[in-house]
Amino acid sequence: MTATGSTTDREISLSRVFDAPRELIWKAWTDPVGISNWWGPEGFSTTTKVMDLRPGGVWDHTMHGPDGTDYPNHTEYIEVTEPELLVYSNEGAKKGGTYVKFVSTVTFDDLGNGKTRLTVRTVFPSTELRDKIDAEYGASKGLADMFSRLARYLS
Amino acid sequence: MQSQTDRLSSTFSALADPTRRAILARLSTGEATVQDLAKPFKMTLPAVSKHLKVLERAKLIRRSRNAQWRPCYLNAAPLKEAADWVGEYRKFWEESLDRLDAYLKVLQAQETASTKPTPGPRARKEKKK
Repeated sequence: MTATGSTTDREISLSRVFDAPRELIWKAWTDPVGISNWWGPEGFSTTTKVMDLRPGGVWDHTMHGPDGTDYPNHTEYIEVTEPELLVYSNEGAKKGGTYVKFVSTVTFDDLGNGKTRLTVRTVFPSTELRDKIDAEYGASKGLADMFSRLARYLS
Repeated sequence: MQSQTDRLSSTFSALADPTRRAILARLSTGEATVQDLAKPFKMTLPAVSKHLKVLERAKLIRRSRNAQWRPCYLNAAPLKEAADWVGEYRKFWEESLDRLDAYLKVLQAQETASTKPTPGPRARKEKKK
C-alpha cells in the first residue's frame, strides 16, 4: 500500500477485473510492442520511441488519432514494482488538444484463478464536486447538463 | 498569455477547496453579495473575500464593478473545460481497457496454441446472437 494521504475524494479511479494472469497484464503494459496493441481510445495507435522501465526512466511515445492527428506524450516512471505496481507521471496532449500533466498509479492485484484486478488512479481535485453537482447545481439548466456529465465521469 | 494547462490547473486548484465549491454552488442559483456568501459558512468577510479572489483569478466568478456591494456571478466556461477534460480522460481509459481485454484474449490464445497441441479450454462464449 502506498501512503498517499486522503486523496480518495480527489481522484479519478477506474478498476476492472481481467480474466488473465497478472504477469500477462504486466507484460502488456511494459512491452513497447504489447502496449501499442491497446493503448488509447478506439481507433488510436501508438508508436514508442523509448521505453525505459525503471524509476526515473521514460516512455516517449506518440499516439496517432483516427483523424491523423499525432499526440506526442512524455511519460516518466516513478515507481516500478513488477508485477504489481506502476506509478508514472504523464505530460502531453490528449485528444481534444488539451495539454495535461498528472500522476497515475496503476495496481495489478492477483485475485487467484487466473484473474487480475487492474486499478488506475489519478489524483484529481474535484470528486467532491460530484455531490455538490447533484444536490445544488441541479436546478440550473445547462449547468445541470454539464454537471450530470461530470458526475457520470467521476462515479 | 495563459495556456490551457495553466487554466485547467487554476480551475482544479480553485475547486480543490470545499468552501469555494460551496460558494460556486450558491452562485449557480444566482448572483450574491459577499455578505450573502459569508452567511452559511460562519466565516469572517475577509476570509470569504480571500476565497472570492481565488475564484476570480481562476475566472470562475465575475464581480460587478458598478454596484457598491459588488455582487458576484458564476462564470461556467472554465468549469465546462474541466468537465470536458475529465470526460476525455474517462473515455481514454474505458476504451483502452476494452482494447487491453481484447488483446489479452489474443495473447492467451497464442499461449494456449503454443503450449498445448490440442485445443484445451472449452469455449466460454455462448453462441447467442
